[in-house]
Amino acid sequence: MTEENVIEIHNLQKTYDKGKIKALNGIDLEIKKGEFISIMGPSGSGKSTLLNMIGALDRAEEGTIKVAGIDLMKTRDLSEFRSQEIGFVFQMHNLIPNLSVLENVEIPMYETRIKSEEMRRRALELLEAVGLKDKADKNPTKLSGGERQRVAIARALVNHPSIILADEPTGALDSKTGDVILNLLKSLHSKKQVTMVMVTHEPYVAKMADRILHVLDGKINNSS
Amino acid sequence: MSFFTLMIKNPFRNRTRATLAIIGIAIGIATIVALGMVTGGLQSSTQSTLKAGSAEITVTKIGSGNFGSSGGAMDESLVTDLKNTNGVKDTAGILRVNSNVSTSSGGSGFGSMSGFLVNGIDSSKLALVGIDSVNGTIFTNGSSNEIIIGKTIAQNLNKTVGSTIDIYGTEFEVTGIFESGNFIYDIGAFTSLSTLQNLTNNTGKVSYIQVKVNDNANASQVSKTIQDERPNDLSATTAVDQANRINQSLGMIDTASWAISLLAIVIGGVGVINTMIMSVFERTREIGVLKAVGWKDRRILGMILGESIILTLVAAVVGIILGIVAVEIIFKFFTTSQSFEAVLTMDTLLKAFAVALLVGIVGGLYPAYRASRLAPTEALRYE
Repeated sequence: MTEENVIEIHNLQKTYDKGKIKALNGIDLEIKKGEFISIMGPSGSGKSTLLNMIGALDRAEEGTIKVAGIDLMKTRDLSEFRSQEIGFVFQMHNLIPNLSVLENVEIPMYETRIKSEEMRRRALELLEAVGLKDKADKNPTKLSGGERQRVAIARALVNHPSIILADEPTGALDSKTGDVILNLLKSLHSKKQVTMVMVTHEPYVAKMADRILHVLDGKINNSS
Repeated sequence: MSFFTLMIKNPFRNRTRATLAIIGIAIGIATIVALGMVTGGLQSSTQSTLKAGSAEITVTKIGSGNFGSSGGAMDESLVTDLKNTNGVKDTAGILRVNSNVSTSSGGSGFGSMSGFLVNGIDSSKLALVGIDSVNGTIFTNGSSNEIIIGKTIAQNLNKTVGSTIDIYGTEFEVTGIFESGNFIYDIGAFTSLSTLQNLTNNTGKVSYIQVKVNDNANASQVSKTIQDERPNDLSATTAVDQANRINQSLGMIDTASWAISLLAIVIGGVGVINTMIMSVFERTREIGVLKAVGWKDRRILGMILGESIILTLVAAVVGIILGIVAVEIIFKFFTTSQSFEAVLTMDTLLKAFAVALLVGIVGGLYPAYRASRLAPTEALRYE
C-alpha cells in the first residue's frame, strides 16, 4: 500500500444467496488520501455493497481490501477500525429517537475512552459546525429532514475518522435541502481533510466529487 | 451522557410495554415478599414465644392436644405430684378457657368477637409463663373480679387499667397489662386459678402444667422422666420440641415460597424475554447503526442485558411495595391481626432483589445475544 492510497482493493468478490448473486465481481480500486469519490450505478449494481466492504460492515469472499492500513480480510474484530477510521452517513439519518440531538452525536464515542465532559464538548463543537448547536437538547423527531441529516453528519465526524462513507445522503431529501447537505459535506471534506466516498444515483450530485466511479454488475465500469 | 444513563432511558421508550412487563414481574415479587413477611412474622413470634417461656416443659393430658388445650383436662393434684419429680424446680397448673367477650368498644377485626383465651394461674407462678412485670398490679389469688390482660388484646379491645371485661357473665376489672413476649399469652388474659375454676365449673382441674427444671437439669431428660412415669396419661413436650414442630411448619411455608419464587422466575423470565425480543426487533436498524459507528458486540450485549436488569429491578421495587401494601391490607381488614405481625426482614428484601436480578439476566440474555450477533448490513436494511 502506498502512503498516498488510503483505500486499496484488488479483485474483490462478494456473493449472496449461496453464490447465485454476484454482488461484487472483481473490484479493483485505489483511493488517495483526502480524495472525494462518487460511486454511481443502477440499483443492484453493487455500489452499496462496495461501500459496506470499505466500511467493514460486511466481509468479501475473495480478493484483498486494505483501508487506512488495515487488512480487512485478515482482521478479526473490525469494530475498533469502524470506530476510529470510518464515519457513516446513511440515506435515512438513523438517529435514536429517544435521545437528544447531542446524545445522538455522542453515541460513537462510547467505545473510546473519552470522559463524559469531553464527549459533550466534542459533540457540541460538531453541532456548531453543522449549524445545530442551538438544537442540541432537542429530540431528533422535532427536527426537519435536513436538520436530522446534519446531525447524522456530526455523528459521523465525532471520532475524527479518516474516511467518510455516505450512502445516498440526499436520497431522502428535497433538492434544496439536498444541496445544503452536499455543500456541508463538501466544506467539511476540505476543512477536515477527510477522504469522502459517496454513493449516489444523481449525476449532479456525483459531479461535486473529484472523481466519479461507475459500477455495473459488480465491477467498476469506468472512472471519470 | 453516561452509558448507564443510556441504559436507563431505553427500556421506557415503549411505556405501555415496559409497564406491563414490570407489572408481570412485580406480581411475582409481591407474592415472594408477602409470603416472606408472613414467614418472618411467624418466625419472630415463635422465637419470642420460646425465649419468653420461663418453664421448659409443658405437660398435657394425652388426647387433649398440645399447647392450645383448653378446659379442665387434668387433676390439679398433678401439679404438686410433678413438682416432686427428680430435676423439677417448680410447676404451675394453668386452666385455660375460651371466653366470648362482650365489649362496646369493639375490636380491630372480624375475629375480635370470637373470644380470647383466659388463663387461670396462681399469681405467684406468673414468672413461669414469662410474665415478670405488669403495668398496673397483678390480680390477688381468690379475688372475684381481677384480671390482667396481654398488651395485644388490650390494644385490640381498647382496654386500659381500670376497664372492665365481661367473662362468663362476671364483670372483671383490668388491674394490669402485661407483655410476656409470648404471642399466645399476649392475646389472652390471666386471672386467679381458683376464681376461673369456680366460674367455669372446673374446680380442682387444670388444662396443662408448666414445668421449670433445675438449673443443672436437662429439660429433655426431665420431660422423658415425666412421660415415662405416666405413659398412658400424660404427654410432656419441651420448648425445643415445640420449636422443632413449628420450624417444620415454617419449613413448609418456606418451601412454598421458594416454589413460588421459581415460578416467578420462569414466568417473569418468559415475560422479559418477550419484552426484550420485541424491543430488539424494533431497534434492529438502530443496533445496525451502533455497530456501524464502532460499538463492539459485547457493548451491545451489555446494553440490552442492562436494560433487562433495570426493568426487573424497577419491578422489584414495585413488587416489594405491592407486597407490603397487600399484607398490610389483608392483616388490617381480613384477619384479627391478634396473633402476630408480619415482619419484613432483610432476607426477604434480598431474596426479592435476587429473584428480580435473576429474572433480568435469564430474560435478557437471549435477546441481548441475538442483538449482539446481528449482521450490521442486514440490521441496517431492516424495515
